[in-house]
Amino acid sequence: MTITWEQILAFLCEDQSMAITSLLFLAFFAAVALINYALPRVLRPYFLLIASYGFFCYDPVNRPLVWVIAAATVVTWLCGLIIGKVKNKAVRVLALLVSVGFGIGILIYYKYWNLLADSLGGSFLSHRENLLAPLGLSYFTFAAMSYTIDVFKRRCRVETNPLHYALFVSFFPTLINGPIERYPQMRPQIQKSRRFSYGRCAGGAFRMLWGYTKKMVIADNLSQYVSLVYGDVSGISGPNLVAATVLFAVQLYMDFSGCCDIALGAARILGYDLIENFQSPFEARTFNDFWRRWHISMTSWFRDYVYFSLGGSRCAPWRHYLNIVIVFVCSGLWHGADWRYLAWGLFTGILAAFGVMTAKLRRRINRWNPLYRMGWFKALWQTIVTDGLFCLTLVFFASAIYNADPFAVYGSLLQGWDGLSGSWAQVSNLIYSSGIDGRLPVVLLFGCFVVFAAEHGGRSVAKWIRQQVWPLRWTLYYGAAAAILFFAAFGQSAFIYQQY
Amino acid sequence: MPKSPTPIPAPPVKIQRGAPSRAPAKKRRRKKKRNPFLWFLQGLVRRIYFGLKTGFKFLLLVPVLVFMVAFSYNVDRSGLFQGALAPRRIVDLMLQGYDVTNFEQMDERQVVQLYAQDVPETPEAIGIGSSRVLQFNRENTGVESFFNMGVTGADVRDNMTSYYKMVTYGKAPKVLLWSLDPWVFYGSEAAFDARADADLYNEFLTKVLNVPTDYEEPNQVELWKALADPAYFQGNVDYYFKNRGQATVTDDEGNTIEFNPVEGDPYNQPTTIKRSDGSVLYDVAFRSQTEDQIRTLAAEACMSFNSVHMEGFDEMSQTQIQAFDSFIKYAQSQGTTVILVLSPWHPYLYGYLLTEPEMHKGFFQVENWLRQYCADNNIPLYGSYDPACIEGLQETDFFDGLHCGGTGIARFFPGIPQALADLQNGTLANPLDVHPRTSLEDPNAQPAEGETPDGETPTQEG
Repeated sequence: MTITWEQILAFLCEDQSMAITSLLFLAFFAAVALINYALPRVLRPYFLLIASYGFFCYDPVNRPLVWVIAAATVVTWLCGLIIGKVKNKAVRVLALLVSVGFGIGILIYYKYWNLLADSLGGSFLSHRENLLAPLGLSYFTFAAMSYTIDVFKRRCRVETNPLHYALFVSFFPTLINGPIERYPQMRPQIQKSRRFSYGRCAGGAFRMLWGYTKKMVIADNLSQYVSLVYGDVSGISGPNLVAATVLFAVQLYMDFSGCCDIALGAARILGYDLIENFQSPFEARTFNDFWRRWHISMTSWFRDYVYFSLGGSRCAPWRHYLNIVIVFVCSGLWHGADWRYLAWGLFTGILAAFGVMTAKLRRRINRWNPLYRMGWFKALWQTIVTDGLFCLTLVFFASAIYNADPFAVYGSLLQGWDGLSGSWAQVSNLIYSSGIDGRLPVVLLFGCFVVFAAEHGGRSVAKWIRQQVWPLRWTLYYGAAAAILFFAAFGQSAFIYQQY
Repeated sequence: MPKSPTPIPAPPVKIQRGAPSRAPAKKRRRKKKRNPFLWFLQGLVRRIYFGLKTGFKFLLLVPVLVFMVAFSYNVDRSGLFQGALAPRRIVDLMLQGYDVTNFEQMDERQVVQLYAQDVPETPEAIGIGSSRVLQFNRENTGVESFFNMGVTGADVRDNMTSYYKMVTYGKAPKVLLWSLDPWVFYGSEAAFDARADADLYNEFLTKVLNVPTDYEEPNQVELWKALADPAYFQGNVDYYFKNRGQATVTDDEGNTIEFNPVEGDPYNQPTTIKRSDGSVLYDVAFRSQTEDQIRTLAAEACMSFNSVHMEGFDEMSQTQIQAFDSFIKYAQSQGTTVILVLSPWHPYLYGYLLTEPEMHKGFFQVENWLRQYCADNNIPLYGSYDPACIEGLQETDFFDGLHCGGTGIARFFPGIPQALADLQNGTLANPLDVHPRTSLEDPNAQPAEGETPDGETPTQEG
């Protein structure tokens, strides 16, 4: 059996899109990393820019939309240049408005057009069929807008090298799922590329492997059950809806943080440190703390550019609460042009505002709670309540993804309960029939335990693994690889946050 | 909140626009001038060192991939590399020395292909041909490591590719026993069996005999893809654990594979079985028919004689003759001694054919041409299509009109060791000494035994 290079290439390029879980992406990334380090350091950002545009343009759907990312880069860079160099305030404000307006404009044109058209009843805007958005639209527009706002607010020096800035906007590991980068964080790394460090690369590679394990072994397998329940919620009993909602929270975390691990690991190998997007969110003890640990790059973006602009907490209490709600509504809208995301944002915002509103009162009451004298119980209870509230809001989110009626779900949550054993039987039967059978449930449970334990306290697995003795390190390498090989659900490569 | 290990966007820091206070001027150190060649060399060495180190560490993960590929290749639930599961089970059993039940349901061609692939040691002799060769076995050939690669309804493509497969796996046997059927020399589509592997035959013609065909090198990417596909690996893991240590084996879809080792006396089985040497042992009832019953079957075969790959066979095909000659030379070039065998037809059937020679012109040409060919090329030839040419052949030596049993074979075939000895000593019988009847008008033509008047005809002894 002879296999030619052409056949290997044909095999790798069989799919038209470069999914991050595909062999093609791994081959592409390995080639990019190899060439990157073979080049002199001064040339590396330019090569990575070419690679990023290559990655963007690989998918034929994205190719005609490459002008969007290029235009967003050019417009925001020029606006940043004007804002940074011109002293006339009116011109600076105008440039800022152009930059932000352009960013929001392309978001509306490619993402919210149909929502607006439908909301306006079609009289003003007409509904567009096959509305296609370029890859990473919400991520690169937010990153680009943050640059001009930072330059305007004098939080960031103006970038005179357009190619360095272009790499910041289009850096390929962040194009699929973020994180939403900030230029002050990226700038020194782009301007002076790091020398090769074996430790960094090994840590990055493990972080990628860790991310693949979370995504392909845990998230993709859990999605079988969640999609079965949320795919058709009619006739699904309360215990199954509760279980699916809780498992959806785990799935969402494993999926999204897994992809972030891949992105951060890949960037780390290439010599860049990106923003950590998660800090053990399920260990949070208050709802607001949860949101400081979940999707940090997005929440911090809204905090810095929306919440603070609205006055933050330095205003009247009612205005403070309103600011919180507005930020979460914006966050809901960021996720997609669907009323269920909006409702999710509103619900989350109200809960967060309520949390702030009652914080003092709860602290006072807690002093009189005898059970809270046991520290472990207090921590456990608060964590359970926080995670429970998060799961409760996620019904809207899951309904938007699986196109279900969230109110039907909420309405059925308490129905069909049949004692502990009866309810458990209902859940376990459906879990088995969804394809999670044999050894898989044990593997998923154990996998979740390992992930949560390894990431306890916001620990970075990339650094942590390098501190371990080699037998443990290599056991984990092989263990993760074997877990993917034996238990990963292949053929479900799309990430949930890829669509945003 | 725990301390972040990697930077989280810091709260906005305002940059003061006023002129920064000037720090006391430090004397800048002068940078040492670097030798550009040394600088380049340093960079190169650094890159090579770290490249090798990283490459080596990644190589340590290769065993995981090797395990995946090896496991998928060996379990191969879809039969992409090892052949379909059922034939694989049959071959496994045969290689373990078992006779296998349920012959009628076997895909004999796949069994033969898999046998060629899996047999650990090259058999000394193999037999090829149609079902008419399937009665040759270890006993009547006299070779312990004989394997019968004949398949029911075999055409020329089956014959040649069976041997070709053995050669491609580096297992060319010392002796090739070919029971030649007349349709081997018929060039029409009618001579071909739909079950034969046409692609493999085209490959053989193109690659070995240099005969141009529409053969194209198969695209191996699909196969390669399955080996590199973790989903296929997972399917194989499931299949392996499901069937490990089970008495009954299931196929890819969970259906039971009904091929099992023969239990009890193989000669006393109610169904036809495949022996471990590839030969076929018919069921007791078929083997114990009376002379009349056999003749009835032979009479039934008269009307359908041509339909067995010989419809419109009026003339031997030059192309097929050429292919036959090339194949013999190819086998000889592989160090294989070819022994040809002509398995007789039932006397009643042959007698019937003589009554309508115009209908079987091609058929009657074959044997005489073949005798001449063997005489010219010193190739051992045993048997005859004409039963009258075989001394002592009885009607009860047949199972039906087409198939001669072991007792019949023993009357004309002395066994492979004897044939080889004769060939080596130059004591082979002259093939031209035997004159098969080709028509009733033929001076040599004799009516079939029991139906037409007796007469003398040159015969062949085993």
